[in-house]
Amino acid sequence: MRGYLLRRLGISLLTLVIASMVVFIGVRAVPGSPATALTGNTNFSPAALAAITREYGLAKPLPVQYLDWVGQVLTGHLGASPVTGMPVTTEIGNAFPITFELTVLTMLIALLLGIPTGILAAIRRGRTADYTSNALALFGLSIPSFWFAIMLILLLSVHFAFLPASGFVSFSVDPAQNLAHMLMPAFVLGTGVAAVLMRQTRSGLLETMRADYVRTARAKGLSEWVVVLKHALRNSLVTVATVIGLQFGILLSGVAVTEEVFGLPGIGQLTINSVFQRDYPTIQAVALLTAALVIIINLLMDFVYMVLSPKVRLAGEPG
Amino acid sequence: MSIATVPGAEPVVTISTPSRQGWWRRFRRRPPAVIGLAGVVVVVVVAVFAPLLAPQSPVASQFGHVLVGPGVAGHILGTDQLGRDELSRLIYGSQSTLEVGVLATLLAMVLAVPIGIASGYYRGAVDMVAMRVADVVLAFPFLLIAVGLAAIFKPSLQNVIIALGLAQLPGSIRIARAEAMALREQDFVQAAIVTGVRDRVILFRHLFPNMLSPLLVQASVSIPAAILGSALLSFLGLGVQPPTPSWGNMLATAQTYLYNDPWIAILPGIAIFLTTLAFNLLGDGLRDLFDPSMR
Repeated sequence: MRGYLLRRLGISLLTLVIASMVVFIGVRAVPGSPATALTGNTNFSPAALAAITREYGLAKPLPVQYLDWVGQVLTGHLGASPVTGMPVTTEIGNAFPITFELTVLTMLIALLLGIPTGILAAIRRGRTADYTSNALALFGLSIPSFWFAIMLILLLSVHFAFLPASGFVSFSVDPAQNLAHMLMPAFVLGTGVAAVLMRQTRSGLLETMRADYVRTARAKGLSEWVVVLKHALRNSLVTVATVIGLQFGILLSGVAVTEEVFGLPGIGQLTINSVFQRDYPTIQAVALLTAALVIIINLLMDFVYMVLSPKVRLAGEPG
Repeated sequence: MSIATVPGAEPVVTISTPSRQGWWRRFRRRPPAVIGLAGVVVVVVVAVFAPLLAPQSPVASQFGHVLVGPGVAGHILGTDQLGRDELSRLIYGSQSTLEVGVLATLLAMVLAVPIGIASGYYRGAVDMVAMRVADVVLAFPFLLIAVGLAAIFKPSLQNVIIALGLAQLPGSIRIARAEAMALREQDFVQAAIVTGVRDRVILFRHLFPNMLSPLLVQASVSIPAAILGSALLSFLGLGVQPPTPSWGNMLATAQTYLYNDPWIAILPGIAIFLTTLAFNLLGDGLRDLFDPSMR
């Protein structure tokens, strides 16, 4: 088991290193000189160009530049945004808590909606509850999140004036207002993820419910709910954990557009703005941060997978 | 001895799969799947025959008829902020949507199938490299890939197709790989290996034809996902550039006029929703057909 853990950790680190190289090369593949990309200026006096070349070490060979950059990233020096003049670390520090809160609320809503409906659909297979859950999941999978967001704004903010249409209030300033601003975006994103979780829970449960040990549990005279919740669910959650990991990357794209629609100044909006303002130091930092997050989440899901799945726990390898 | 006469070297496609007629009969018995298929056919027809179906030009402005409501002045679904016929724009908007959905999925398959097959068949170093490639691609959300491509090149439909195709790569590689690993252990493949059939023949004549149904199922879930992704990207201004209409960029402009003229925001969304729904229904139907255990 420890061997498996260490190997997963090593693989994740390797992936992170390759991903960071992709980000590094990507930013340098942008047309125009790297000096332009990194500072936002197009016209330099020879002296200014020389200064920038020196500051960013642009005259050094690429591998050396890469190592320098990694060193800077590891010590928290990500440069300054040429657009706002603020250090990129400050920008990310301001935006990250918002995206983090949104993601946590989204996952909470997704789990609360997706897993119970998935269980219900599996137990009531072929009956009304199953068809209803499936229809809802199909709805959640097919609806474009940003359009759903706009429709909710139209209904709840414009028509009923029930929730604020956009903007952000910090939790420490006013918790109620903070949640009021977060509710619609988290619901929009949460329903989409819930649809995937519902289907995964349902099909996972249906599959495990055919297993011998579930039949044994039934034969012992345990009630159907105990059989499902104590015996079958645990195993089907193994696949759900993997799906959450895979969903995370997709979720981050959805988060960006949702933040844009609801005017939440999170990482997503930062990404989108930095792209349209050609703010390369910020893009570079955000891309690296996102990749690191996805890799870490998937690693965590691997651990969850291991804890949940006896097969992996006992054999030390995923089955 | 020619390859065709090697015992057991023939693909066993027909053993477990029912005849084509059987498929259709079983498919027909699922109303949601049939509705999905009908919806997909409608969208394809609309996209292909857009010039014939659209009542007006999708880009010609009539400044006398700006933001008129549905049914007014000969505009069945009204006009947008530049007085362009909404229905015609919706009809033309289906083209880029469908193009991205299908081409992104195709791109993912063309890249993923050889990688996945080789990785599942050879295991070892090939597998290790393929899986790391998949991991790295997975680490970048498709938005970021699209953003990167748009920064390096220019915002265009090709970038969107590449970004969404890459985004689907890891999932498709894993499916092809898992199938190849399972098939490799089957007797007919083992027999082919033992009798010295060349690898190329095993990979493409024995493995590939036998994984078509899971790949088809994967494609049927990829297309609606790519359609949603392309709408998202063009909503953000990264896809088809105005004045060419796409459902995503129509929705993006409509956001400004949301309070007074909500219909121009409602309509493109419904178009995206119904198209995605049709593909999802069809995909579910195909999955039930090929993989009854998931039903």
